[in-house]
This record gives sequence, structure tokens and C-alpha cells, in this order.
Amino acid sequence: MHFRIKKGLDLKLTGEAMGKIVSPYSSHTFFVHPSDFRWLTPKLTVQVGDAVDIGSPLFFDKEDERIKIVSPVNGTVTQIVRGEKRVIQTIVIERDNDTTSREVQFDAPISAEDYQSILLRFGLWPMLRQRPFSTIANPDTLPKALFVPCFDSAPLAPDYSVLLQGRGDEFLSGLRVMRNLLPDVPMHLCMREGADNALFEAAEEVEKHYFSGPHPAGNVGTHIHHIAPINKGESVWYIDPQDLATIGHLFQRKELCFDTTVALTGPCVTEPRYVHVPRWADLSELLATSTPSDNVRMISGNVLTGKQFDEYPAIRFYDHQLTMIAEGGQREFLGWLRPNLKKWSFSHTFLSWLAPKRPFSFNTSLYGGRRTFMMTDIYDKVFPFDIIPLSLLKACLVKDIENMEALGIYEVDDEDFALCEVVCPSKMECQQIIRDGLFFIKNDK
Amino acid sequence: MSFLQRFSEKAGKAFEKGKPLHFLSSLYDAIDTFTLTPADTTRSGSHIRDAVDMKRIMITVMIALCPALFFGMWNVGHFHYIANGIDAGFWQSFGYGFLRWLPLVVVTYVSGLAVEVTFAQIRGEQVAEGFFVTGFIIPMIMPPDVPLWIVAVATVFSVLFAKEVFGGTGYNFLNPALVARAFVFFAYPSVISGDSVWISHAPDAVSGATPLAILVNGSAQQMPSAMDMFVGTIPGCIGETSKIAILIGAAILLLTQVADWRIMLTVMAGGYVTAALFHITGTCPVPGYEQLLMGGFLFGAVFMATDPVTAAHTSTGKYIYGALIGILSIVIRMLNKGYPEGMMLAILLMNIFAPLIDYCVVQRNIHKRQNRTKSIHNSR
Repeated sequence: MHFRIKKGLDLKLTGEAMGKIVSPYSSHTFFVHPSDFRWLTPKLTVQVGDAVDIGSPLFFDKEDERIKIVSPVNGTVTQIVRGEKRVIQTIVIERDNDTTSREVQFDAPISAEDYQSILLRFGLWPMLRQRPFSTIANPDTLPKALFVPCFDSAPLAPDYSVLLQGRGDEFLSGLRVMRNLLPDVPMHLCMREGADNALFEAAEEVEKHYFSGPHPAGNVGTHIHHIAPINKGESVWYIDPQDLATIGHLFQRKELCFDTTVALTGPCVTEPRYVHVPRWADLSELLATSTPSDNVRMISGNVLTGKQFDEYPAIRFYDHQLTMIAEGGQREFLGWLRPNLKKWSFSHTFLSWLAPKRPFSFNTSLYGGRRTFMMTDIYDKVFPFDIIPLSLLKACLVKDIENMEALGIYEVDDEDFALCEVVCPSKMECQQIIRDGLFFIKNDK
Repeated sequence: MSFLQRFSEKAGKAFEKGKPLHFLSSLYDAIDTFTLTPADTTRSGSHIRDAVDMKRIMITVMIALCPALFFGMWNVGHFHYIANGIDAGFWQSFGYGFLRWLPLVVVTYVSGLAVEVTFAQIRGEQVAEGFFVTGFIIPMIMPPDVPLWIVAVATVFSVLFAKEVFGGTGYNFLNPALVARAFVFFAYPSVISGDSVWISHAPDAVSGATPLAILVNGSAQQMPSAMDMFVGTIPGCIGETSKIAILIGAAILLLTQVADWRIMLTVMAGGYVTAALFHITGTCPVPGYEQLLMGGFLFGAVFMATDPVTAAHTSTGKYIYGALIGILSIVIRMLNKGYPEGMMLAILLMNIFAPLIDYCVVQRNIHKRQNRTKSIHNSR
């Protein structure tokens, strides 16, 4: 099926990762952040000083002990950093040797249960996520569909054909694992129309869809909404193609390897490029050597939904992009009155809209104070869902579960509201509002 | 760091919590962010934001209002000198109008902002920019000679009872500028109705009847030409007379996407169709399009009905909301001789109904979703 997304917005940042060359990077230290997994309460299985191997569990989900997060390297746990209320922030592992893969043994799987138990046992299950709530998929339920978003439309997003370079077989093998894991569940591959989709076209026993148009055309939420909208009580699973390749690698070669390819992007990066990194490797050195300026915000993910690195910088589990943009906050005399040819705005209130091809200098300035909802029609322009965004946001704010459900909260996730947040002149934190709404519903059950 | 920034930061210390001037911190914050853009940066989520904020949107609306305002100033002077039999030049007329307008706008801003700042301080919030436009519009929809104390009372009433009691800017369901006008209209009808109020300091013998009043009560010979009504050389409120100037403002609002085209279009369409029907059935002597040039119809359609807070919020709702404003304003104008200025009442009435329209649109969306869920459960 073909889908043309009309509402949306492509932010034209500079600093896209070009070329197809992937440079390797590694580090001696690894930082595992349990907060990469939304609303998961970690129960540690290691202590400081414990030796860990690739694939040995670090912690499990308090609600489901089968869901384990495993070590990406052979090494020793040197530190467990705790934050407020003793929440586990980071598990620091010093690695012993350079290996990033480990051979494992398991019997050839026959049934869906066999596949499930292997994925759970080797810590690959967390790669499967579910909507609503964007948490790790619940192994006890069966989804109504599985989605594989085969492109990313976020600003400066990497090209999946580079991320999956030389891993085509593994990707297809991963898809076959999913077919065996979910025998009767429809699988949807969602591709960018007109892009280099050779790798994905080779897939069998899947439904192929093509999306065109601006961001969020590549968001899995957009795909789900247009192909198999979620009703109350249903769930949909989704998985990233690189993670499928990792799963394929395990089943093809009986080898566990958590390496991943990420795009180093952004206007502040001297040499935007693709980098091959072991998952959760300490990125301090890479980040420090990639930019000449000091006042830079370093983000795991893209500028819309990413998270700023803390003092233990490692790429988040589900990200495949690093972005660096200039910090803002410069004050400008009578800024609201100036014609402003350099500032970017979705609205046409700045003269800059007459010169859209001019490169804009994006930074992290908020450009205004927080107000109530006033420009009531602005969200509709960037929100390609059959959902009324303002009503849903208001229902979330007042924690009215009945209305949230009626207005379609299960069909969205905070990332779907990222563009609403960008264009909002009242500087509403739309993503946080939706996240809080989802959290409230989840806890209420 | 500029001199201004250093000065502002230094001065700001006196307004911090626990300091003697803390009770004026909202005022300080308003002045500080007025002169210098805020230094805040994003914390999470979307790390980059649109450069637009409410200040920018409000200043855009004010710029769009300027052509109508400038023409209105000249027009006030123009009619004043004609009525008094003085031959005045362009700048003399403009200067007279400016001097009539200036005290009105000063009184409006001082009285309105005093209420706004007080409430912002009580709530511990920043001063919202909504009043900048409201305060700019109020003098434009008043007759030139309206007593200043009435303007002050009307402004305070509208800010207080149309806005602050409901929670402030963004929570109001009535357009505050129109509430101010309605307040004057019902509380002090003599200063805003009749034939004598529309020309500044006119001798008693001169009638300054507006085309609308002529249409309702007068004879067809007195009616100014459609061209005069379009250009704006007719008596009326300061801002409403020149349709060309209002259309320039409309173009600015539409190009900058500050106002919604759906509302403007449907108000005009609704108004035209209704007026044409009255003309065809013989109730009204003037053709449909001329009615759109009379009174505050166009000003209301462009600047008042499009207020995003008090209009319907949903896209579908906007079509219904706009069309009903157009229809109702002409119906009130034609069928109720006591209130020829139907636009004000039509917009206020539809402001009240906008939440209901939105409710219906939202319910339709909800039902669609519920039906989808039901059909799935039935098929299982």
C-alpha cells in the first residue's frame, strides 16, 4: 500500500552523515542505563566487582523476571551509580578484552515458544517493543501486528541502507525468526517511497508499505495509525531493522554481538559520519573529538526526541543517531519585533520564510515563555493522525482517562507529538504531557 | 553581554523572592522579556524550538491592524473638519485623529494592563501578551468622542469578567475587546449609538449617520456609494470604516498564517449569502455585497472572529463557527432594528457556542474510534 503523508515538517538542519564509510570506534568503559527502557524497574543481578560476559544478565524487569538486560562486553562491573531515591542510573563496566562477540549454544528452535525462550535467554527480547506505551513487548501476549519501520524521517536521520550495510542476510534471517515467533501475526515493512529499498524488498511473507511526505512519515506511530490503528485492549509490536539483524546474527551464526552502527550528525559536528560502536560504549572520546566548540548540546537520538547525554555518555538502546547542536539562550534586544532573516520558524511571522533555502542556525533556545494553549490550530498542521491533538493534550493534562481513551491515546506516543512541541508558540511540552498521560493510564491499571 | 542585559540582571535581583520589590516581579519579568528575548533553553524532548512566541504573534496582529488604524485617524479628522466647515489638509486631519486616538489607547492600556499584571502577580505567572492586541483593538471599535472614563471602566470590566475570572488569557471564551464594546453598548448606549456620536465634535445640526443606520432607518438617497464604503470615507468607529485597509490587514494575517483562513472565508460567505437572500426576497434594498461593506462586518470577520482562543478550536468547527457568525450578523442587522451592529452580537453569541461546536466535532471523532473498536469485537 502507498501512503502519502501531507501534514508534517522536515527540519533542514546541516550536518547530515554522508557517504557509506563506517568508521569503527571503541572504548574501554561501558555505561548501561536502565532508563533506556521505558518504565522498567530494574532488579540488579550483579554487584560492583562481579565479572560479566557478553550475554550475562545485569538486571531484569521487576515485573517480569524473564526480561533480562545483558552485558554487551566481557569485563567487570566497577561502579553502580544511583540517583535520587536510589534509582539505578548507570552500571559502569570496564572491559577485559577486545572481543565484542561470543559464541553461544542452543538447540535448534522448533516452536514459537523455543524462539521466545532463546530471545529472552540471550537478552535480545528487549529489542521488541509494543504500543501502546512503548515498553518492552509483553511475552505473554500476542500482538495484532508487527511493524518494522524501514526508514527514519527525523532531522538528520541515518540512511538505513548504510546502517544495514553487509547485514542484509542477517536482517532477512531476523525477519524469519519473527515469522516463527509470531506465526499468524501480520508483519508490516514500511519503506520510504523512492528510496534504496533493495534490501527490504527481498523480504518474504511480509506486507510491504510505502510512505512518502515529510516527517513523521517514518515514525512507527504514523505507520501503525495508517495501517493497523490500535484499539483499546490491543497491542502492536515493533522492532528496528538493525535489531532484527542482531537477532538474525544470533540465529544464523550462534553468536551474540551487540555492536551497532550510528550516525554522528549535527551542525556542530566537524565531520558528520557513520560510526560502528559497541552498544553502550563510553562515547566521551568520540564526542570530544567530533566538535571544536564548547557550548554544544550532545544528544543521543535526534533533536526532536533525543536525550541529552549525562556524565556517562553512551548511545541509548533504541537510538541509532547522535546529534550535536549549539546551545542557545542568547538574549536579543527587542527580538519579537525584528524582521529576523536568520531564525527558523514554521509560522510565517519572520521574514526568513521568504528565503526557505537559506541555512538556519538552529540552537536550543526556547525563544519565549510558557503560555496557555492559544494558537489552537497550529498542531493540526504537523500532526498526520485522525486524532484531535489539542483535545487529547487537554484530556492528558486533566488526567481524564475515559476521554484520553476515547480520543485515541493508545494510538500515539510522545514522539508523535514532537513536531507539535516544536511549532507551539506557547512553548508547551507536548511530549511530556502525553508521556505523563500514558504513565497515568499504565499505573491506573 | 550588552549593557542592557547587565542592567536588567542587576535590577532583577531586587525582584527576587524575599526581596522588597518581589510583589512587582511579574511586572519586572514582563518588561525584561519585552526588551530582551528570554534566555531559557529547552530541557528535553524537542531540543530545538520554533522562534515564534506569543509576543511575535501579537505584534503581527498589531501590524495588521495598523493600516485600518492609520486610515481611521485620518478619517476621524476628515469628518471633523468637514462637519465644522473647515478646509483641512491630509496631515491636519491625520493629526486631529491621532490626538483623539492617543488618550483612548493610553487609558485602555493603563487600565487593562493594571488588571493583567495584578492577576499575573497573584497567580505567580508571567504576564500573557493577549492584552496587547485587545488593548489595541478597543480604541479602534469605539466612537472617537467616547468619554475616557467609560473606556477605562469597560476595559477593566472586560479584562476582569471576560478573562481573569476564567483563569486569564487562553481560558477566556469571550473576545475581551468585544465584551468591552458590548459593555459600553448596553451600559452607556447614548455614547455609542445614534447619529451624532460618529463624527468627532460635530455641530448638532450635522448628522453623522453610518451607512448601517441609514440602511435600517434612513432613506436610500442618504446612502453613500459602495466605493465610499469600500475606501472608508464614511462615519463610523475609528478602525472599521476602510475596507481596503482591513483587507490589507487580512492579507498580512493570512500570509503570516496567524489567522485562520477558514473563519474569514466562511464569515464572508455566510454573510454574503444571507444578505443576498434578504435582497432577493425584497427585505433589503441594497445588494448582498454592499452589506459586507457596512458597519463592523469586515473588521469583525478579519480581526475578531479569528481570535484563536475564542473561536472554535477544531478545523471542522471553524467552518460552522464562521458561517454562523456571517449568517447571524446579517440576520440580527436586518430583523432587529434596535441593534443594527449585528456583528458584535453575532461574534459574542458564537463565542459562547464555539465550545458546543467543538464538542460535536470531537464526539464525531470519538464515535468513529468507538465504532472501529465495536466492529472488531463483533467480528471476533
